[in-house]
Formats: sequence, structure tokens, C-alpha cells
Amino acid sequence: MEKIIRLSLANIRKHKFEFVSLMILVMMCVLLIGSALSAVLGAFKIFPDAMKNTGSYENFISILKKDYDKEFENIMREHPLVEQISSARMLYGGIKTRYINKNGEQVTIPQSFITADNSAGLERPVIDTTLTDEEISKLEHWVYMPYVMYDSGKYRVGDTFEMICNTKRFSFTVAGFYETLFLGDMSNGIKMIVSDSDYHMLKDVIPEYVVLAYNDNQGQGGYDLFKELYDKFEEYSGKEIDKKSFYLLYSDMEYYISESAYLLLQIIVAMAIVIVLSVIVMIRFRIAGDIKEQVVNIGVLKALGYTSMEITVSYVLEYLLMAGLSVIIGMIGCFMLTPVLLRMCELIVEHRGCGSVSPLPIFLTGLGVLVLVGVIAFIRAIMVRKYLPVHAFRKGQGDHRFGREYFPLSKTKYSVHFRFALKEFVCNFKRNIGLMVCITISVVAVVFSFVVFNVFCNGLDAIYAITGIELSDLQVELEPSSDAGILAEELEQMPEVRKVLPTSAYNTIVVAITPDGNRGMLPLVFHDFDDTENVFPIDGRFPKHDNEIMLTKYDAKWDDIVVGDSIILEHTGVKKTYIVSGVTTAMAGGIFYITYDGIKRLVPDYRFDKVNIYLEDGVDVNDFRYLIEEKYSDNFYGSEKEKNGDFAITDIVDMKEIMSTQLVSTVFAVRVGVSIFMTLSAVVVMIILFILMESSVRQRRKEFAIMKGLGYTSHQLMFQLACCIVPSVIISVVIGTLISFAVIELIIDYYGKVNIDISGVIVLDIVILIFCFLCAFTGTRKIRKISVCELMTE
Amino acid sequence: MNSSILHTKKLCKTFSNSGTQQHVIKNLDLEIYKGDFTVIMGSSGSGKTTLLYALSGMDKPTLGKVYFGEEDISAYSNDELAVFRRNHCGFVFQSIHLLESMNVFDNVMTGALVLQKNSPELIRKVEELLIKVGITKEMWGKYPNQLSGGECQRVGIVRAVINDPQILFADEPTGSLNSASGRDVMDIFTQLHSNGQSIVMVTHDVRTAMRGNRVIFISDGAVVGEYKMPLYSKDDMTSRKDGLQNFLDRMGW
Repeated sequence: MEKIIRLSLANIRKHKFEFVSLMILVMMCVLLIGSALSAVLGAFKIFPDAMKNTGSYENFISILKKDYDKEFENIMREHPLVEQISSARMLYGGIKTRYINKNGEQVTIPQSFITADNSAGLERPVIDTTLTDEEISKLEHWVYMPYVMYDSGKYRVGDTFEMICNTKRFSFTVAGFYETLFLGDMSNGIKMIVSDSDYHMLKDVIPEYVVLAYNDNQGQGGYDLFKELYDKFEEYSGKEIDKKSFYLLYSDMEYYISESAYLLLQIIVAMAIVIVLSVIVMIRFRIAGDIKEQVVNIGVLKALGYTSMEITVSYVLEYLLMAGLSVIIGMIGCFMLTPVLLRMCELIVEHRGCGSVSPLPIFLTGLGVLVLVGVIAFIRAIMVRKYLPVHAFRKGQGDHRFGREYFPLSKTKYSVHFRFALKEFVCNFKRNIGLMVCITISVVAVVFSFVVFNVFCNGLDAIYAITGIELSDLQVELEPSSDAGILAEELEQMPEVRKVLPTSAYNTIVVAITPDGNRGMLPLVFHDFDDTENVFPIDGRFPKHDNEIMLTKYDAKWDDIVVGDSIILEHTGVKKTYIVSGVTTAMAGGIFYITYDGIKRLVPDYRFDKVNIYLEDGVDVNDFRYLIEEKYSDNFYGSEKEKNGDFAITDIVDMKEIMSTQLVSTVFAVRVGVSIFMTLSAVVVMIILFILMESSVRQRRKEFAIMKGLGYTSHQLMFQLACCIVPSVIISVVIGTLISFAVIELIIDYYGKVNIDISGVIVLDIVILIFCFLCAFTGTRKIRKISVCELMTE
Repeated sequence: MNSSILHTKKLCKTFSNSGTQQHVIKNLDLEIYKGDFTVIMGSSGSGKTTLLYALSGMDKPTLGKVYFGEEDISAYSNDELAVFRRNHCGFVFQSIHLLESMNVFDNVMTGALVLQKNSPELIRKVEELLIKVGITKEMWGKYPNQLSGGECQRVGIVRAVINDPQILFADEPTGSLNSASGRDVMDIFTQLHSNGQSIVMVTHDVRTAMRGNRVIFISDGAVVGEYKMPLYSKDDMTSRKDGLQNFLDRMGW
């Protein structure tokens, strides 16, 4: 064993740089996989732990107080799947509530307000505050906020929180924070605990709801139970419950909390896989190169009596030593990185409770990587079996080429250095395939990240473009019986307004009759779709006639419908056939696009109930919203108010702003993930090229010395060697880009089309090419140290 | 007397190894003349190869100067030395040092293309030179390990002279060859010299040294003797050999 260890250590001493580079790759691999897996376990805990710690109910149905009936609770209680129920009163402003954030900007976020007593009916809030009860009691208007307002909103105890509802502003002093699953994040909304007096004050402007909370054994009843209960409520009350009622189920909360964290962690694991593949290719390349380089020594060792297995084991041991050190450092790193990832997960999911680091996945990762490295090294090193001792005396003749001379120098047309590079590329084709695999994977990662980054992080225009809905500057939603036309005409007269488009606010559900079953769908109605600015057909055209509709790509794929097919729509027993005139991109299905005349065929009493407002350039959206809130203050549809005039405004919404607020955590996750992905891809490519170039320089040391003797300068030789990876990189960049486009296409196939910035990708590809060349050029720097005098010692 | 092409002033070369310094060349002053076939001789470890490498810009002196014409090449950077070598020098090594990954033709072309642009004239020149040294067309596509040592050295010579160097350096060019191959190789050197090529060659073989017209003897890193001969001719072999042998005997050979 001692002699094997000696052989391994001698090898390590000879290849210190490659040893360290591979160590870094393996360490990164352990670090990423270990901490990502450990963080996944932590992320898994957030929801159940938060559920346990807050004592929260599992499902919540919030019904406008006017629609609520005490008997609903009995209906729930009698259902066999419902285990426990509770109810509470709460004010819920929905998207009409905004607040002034720490930067002084207005942020639209659904806000609800509840008293401490009512809150206790839904959960056991544990208030985190630095103030005493006495200090709190002295505050005129205090508020306890969900932790998300501490973490993302940057609020602290004692800060002023300014809430806006329609034209009214309310000021509170932040008295503490608490964890809550029900309305405790930016996406679903935030729930504030306020004093009884403030609750009554807010009740004048914010509609009151009754929250019916129930447990169904960790979401066993799911959506079906909710639907059944809801139908029973409507059946009992004999009327349709207002669409402004909303629900939050166990599965929704669990999904929301997990989704963003998983997105980040999946990106990290994908990156780790890229590194694992690179490590495999590099180990194979390193051992093969080393054996070739040392074929004479191997022959001598065999002549001295070393067996193939002993020599193989010495190689395996060398790589196991490297992997062992990397695994130890990587695992230590995991224990430091995982808490950061866990905290990041908490920030992304906007809830606390990731818990501590789980050591098991970290240890298992370390073990797995160690075994993988050992197996790969063994499979490759066993090739020493084919070398007989005679190779020592033939100076490795067995490895010499007798084949065709590729790119003969006599055919040189331009630069002899390029010619040398091409010769080198062809001579090491097998090695270059490995390099191509590594770089291709990294290019896929980088290009994919770039496209995702452009969509998510470079402003939100790209996301808006794939929503499939019309996103004007402001949308005024009306009570369904209102006449949107009158309001539209009035708004159009205002100098700040460029254009208005009456449309539908998704209050009408139409059933699509498909071979796979019937589905409820919402119509998006316009007089003329050519007037829209954010709906784009990706196949066919907009509906123009009253017998045409346009579908989302998602629905078209789902129902296997193509442009030109017919589809039957039904509403209250009336069935009409429509031709699919086009398909559009959309983030989800469930909506279809139809003209006003078209919907009238199916729903004769249909009326527009929403007005899209497009403002002139330079008009501030918030200022204009304030203006129309003031102007139409008597037309607002309040919880207790009656319709005034020809229309009643229910909400004035800036959908873009709402989307941007709701996408904050997703954008953050994507930004972090993509940045890590791109950086690590670059680091991996850099290390691979360094290893490759260092090995090449060592293997061709004598050749370079001869060429220096002939008058080639160090820079020319460095250029030649660096150029020899260029064909591999070009092929990898092209293949990698095409694969990443295919992956993107595959992912978005259901949604429609993402406009890929082709020129940006081309620039990125050129940057990758230059980066690779520079890394390779730098990696060849040891050519400078090669002296012609080395030939003297031959 | 021919004009000087290369000269040294107080040339010193010292190697350090584990704290001990070995002064291989000591304050050496030497002049190499254009058109001469200068042979450097000396016992093992006398510093003859070190001197050759210092003269040719393969290595930098520790102290002193090496002048190519009026140009001080001892002050050149490594890359400047490479340019100097490509423009003015050709090399023939004892171990031949052909590029094993390239065939015969490309080995020569590697030397040619470092200085010249590829052209039909260049290709023709390579072909002619190869034929001239006895490397037939059938061998052009062969790799070095498919050739004999003598054949390889002949290819090495063609590679060295393909750019018409002003001075050709040779370090024991027959050292690794059998006597027949060695003779063939030296015939080529003689032919080159008779065509006016300046040659500086290191050897410890008297038969090889006889091809030169000036023999410099080195001992302990210093020039201790010089012997001049007429141009090589097969007719006066005996007197040539005796004269050189006498000189070497005096030098303590």
C-alpha cells in the first residue's frame, strides 16, 4: 500500500495546479448539491412548522358580510371531511388598498385589517415587539404586521405605516410583527392586526368580510370540498355569492410557500449537475492525458513488477485524495452556505421557519461525490492494463500516430498559427469532444439564464407581453350592472387620457364543451382587438366576426385545437359554435378572446364592466388615479353604499403595478438563481480551460521548446494553443445556444411565445467565445517558462 | 579574413544549484566569422554546448555581451531572442528534436512558416532541399518515428536551413547516429559550407571536426586554443587529421 501511496503523492506533486483546480470543481459540486438538498429539507419545513407554530387553521373562505349567513357555519360543521371550524370578522380592501413604502412610493397590495380577538379565532399570533404593553397602549393608531413587512418591506417597530384606500389616507405606528399563513405575504395580501377603534374607523371605507376557517386533515378535502361547501352556501342563501369573496386553501398556501424556494434550489441543483458532468469529463481527460504522458514510466513500473491494478489504484487514490479533501472543505462550506440559503428561502417565500441545517443530505452528498470520483477514476485508470513493459523501451510508440496528416502546413493560406491550432484540434478530437460537452452544458446554462434574466429581471415588459391580458395604465372595474360606455366616454374627454377601451372584468363564466369534458372559461371582450396593446396572436389572427374566438396557447394545446377548428361555448343553456381564428400567448389558460358582437350571440344581455385607460406620455399614473378617485368619489361601490348614477366603480387598478409587486419574490429568486448560475458556469468553464491548457502545455513541453528554438515566440505559441479550443468553443456555443432555445421552447410551449433577444444572445455567444479564449490564453501562460535550453538536457 | 558575424565580450554563464554556483563560461571573448565552419571542441563539461546556446540566443548569458554584428543580443527579451533566431539562425540538435506529431514535410514547413509566407516557391524549395539531402518523396508523409536516425537528422538539417539563416548552429549533429549516417550528415554540412553557409558546430568527434576550417578548443569555460585549417577536401584527409590531432593533443584532449 505504501508504494501505491508514494506513486499517488508523486503524481499529485507533479500536477499541483490541476489537483487544486479539480479540487475546486469537486468542492463546488459538494457545496452546491449538499447545501441545496439541505436547504430543500429546510424549505419543506417552512410550511408545516409555520402551521404548527401559528396554530393556524388550514383553509379560509372569506365572504362579504352582506352575503354571509350564520347557517354557513352549520353547513360546514355537518360536512364529514371538515374537522374544526371557526369564524372571524375582517376588513379586506383587496387591490384598492395601497401603502406608501419606505421609498415614498405607492405600492398596491391587498390589505386586510383584523382585531386581535378576531385574529385569535383564525390562529395564535405570537407578537414580536420591543415595546411594552404600556407603550403600545399609548400609541394612537398601532398596527401589528406580518413578518414579510419586516423582511421585504423593511419596516421596524416605531415606524409609520401609511395606508391609502381610494382617496383616504390612514397612518399607523408599527408596534410589532407576527407570523401568519393566512394573508402573510405580498402575493396573497397582508393582514394587519389593529385596535378595535381603528377597525371601526376603517370599516367605513373597507368592505367587511366574514372569514370561515376550517381544518380538513391537512388539505385532504382540497378544492372539491371548498367547491362543495361554496355551492351549498349559494344553494342555502338562494343567491350567487359576490365574486369578491375569496378563499385560501391548504394546498394553495403550501404550493405558494414551496414554489419560489424550489425554483431557486432547482437552479442550484441544475448547476451542480453541470459541475458534476464537468468533473467527470475532466477526471477522464486528466487520467487519460497523464497515462499517455507517463506511458514510459508505467512501462518501467511494470517492468519493475508493479501490477496494472496497483498502478490503477494509485491513480484512483490520487483522485480519492483530491475528492476527499474537496468533500471535507465542501461539507464545511455547506454548513456555512445552507443557513444563507435557508434565509434566502425565507425571504423568497416571505415566511419564516426554515429551521436549522440538516446534516444528513450534506454527508450523503459528500459520500456520493466521493464514490462517483472513485468509480470514474477507476474506469479510466484501468486502461493502464493495455500497456506492456515494452512501451518503456519504445518510448510509448504504441501511442504514436501513423494516420493521415490533417491540415498539412503546405496548404497554409493565412496564418500558420491558425493552421497549427486546427491541427491540434483534430489531433485531440476525442479530448475536444469532452471539452465540447462541458462547454455546451455551460453555454446552455448561460444562454438559458440570460433569456430568463431578460424576461424576469430586465424590467417586466417581457413578462407583461406573455400575460395574455390587456395591460393598460389603469383599469376601472365597475359593478356588473353598470354601463361602462358612459364612464368610457367621460374618461376619453379628459386631457390626460390617450385612449379608453371598454372590456370585460371576468364576471361572466362561459362553458367550453370539448371532447375532454366541459371547462369554465372567462371571456376577454373588446369591440376591436386591433385597438389592444398587449394581446398578440402568435398563430392566426384576432377574432373579427361574431362567430370567431381566439384561444390561449395553453388551452389550444390542452384541448388539441388548432386555428380553423370549431369550439362550442355554452352559457345558461345557450350553445353556440365558434371558429378559432387565432392563438395567443398567455401565462395560463381559462380565458378566451371574443368580440363584443361575438359574446352578444351567446350572452345577449352582456355589458362591458371594465374600462381600460391609456394615459398620455408623462402623465403620472398615481396622480391620475387620485384625480379620478376624487372626481368619481360618489360613484364608488362601497360595502354599504348603493349604486349612484349610471355606473358604480368597484376598483381602480394598476395591473402592472400589482403584477410587479406580486412578482417580487419570483423575480428575486430568479435573479439570485440566474446570477449564481451564470457566475458558476463561468467559473466552471474557466477552471476546465485552465486544467486543459495546463495539461496540454505539460504534455507538449518538448514540442514548444523545439518551436521556440525555431523562432516561435511565447505569445505565438500561447496563441496557437489557445486557438485550438476555439473550434470546440464555436461548436459548443452554437449547439448550446440551439439546445437552450429548444429548452426554452419546450418550457414555454404551453404558454405561447417569449420574444428572445436574438441580437443579445449573439452578443452573449461572442462574449462566451472571447471569455473562453482569454481563459485558455491565460491557461497557457506556462509556455513562457519553457526554455529552449531544456533541449540541452535531452 | 572574413568579417565578424558574431562576437562575445567577457561572456560568463553561471548555473546555480542548491546554493552552489557553477561557472561554466568565464569571461570568454570570441569572434565568429562569416563563411567560416567553426567547430567548438572540448572535454565533457568544458562548456562548449553552453557556449553554443549563448551564442545562438537560445540562452542568456549571466554576464558579458553577445553581439550579432553590432547588435547586442544579450540584452534581448525572450521574445526578441525568438525573433532573432527565426531571422538569422538555424539549429541542428544532437537529439534531432523533430516534432513527433507532424510528418516530415510539415516538420520542415514548421520551420519555414515561422518566417516566410506559404507560396509555391517555398513548397518547391522544401521539396528540392529534401531531395537534395536524400529524403525521397515517399518519406515526406512519414512521421519521425517511422524514419531512421540519419533520415531524421537530414530532415532536421533541412528544417534548419530552410530560411537561409546567416548562421547555422549544430550541437553534436552526429552524436546519436551511426558512422555511416553521421558521414552522410556531415557531407551535407560540408556542402552547405562550401556554398558559403556560416556554421558553428559543437562536437567531440575528430572526424566530424575535420569538416570545419576553424577549431576552437575550450577548457573550463575559456578558449584555450584555436586551430585553422583549409577548406575541407577529401584529398588531404591524412594531413588534415594529423594536424588537428596534434592540436588536440597539445590542448590535452
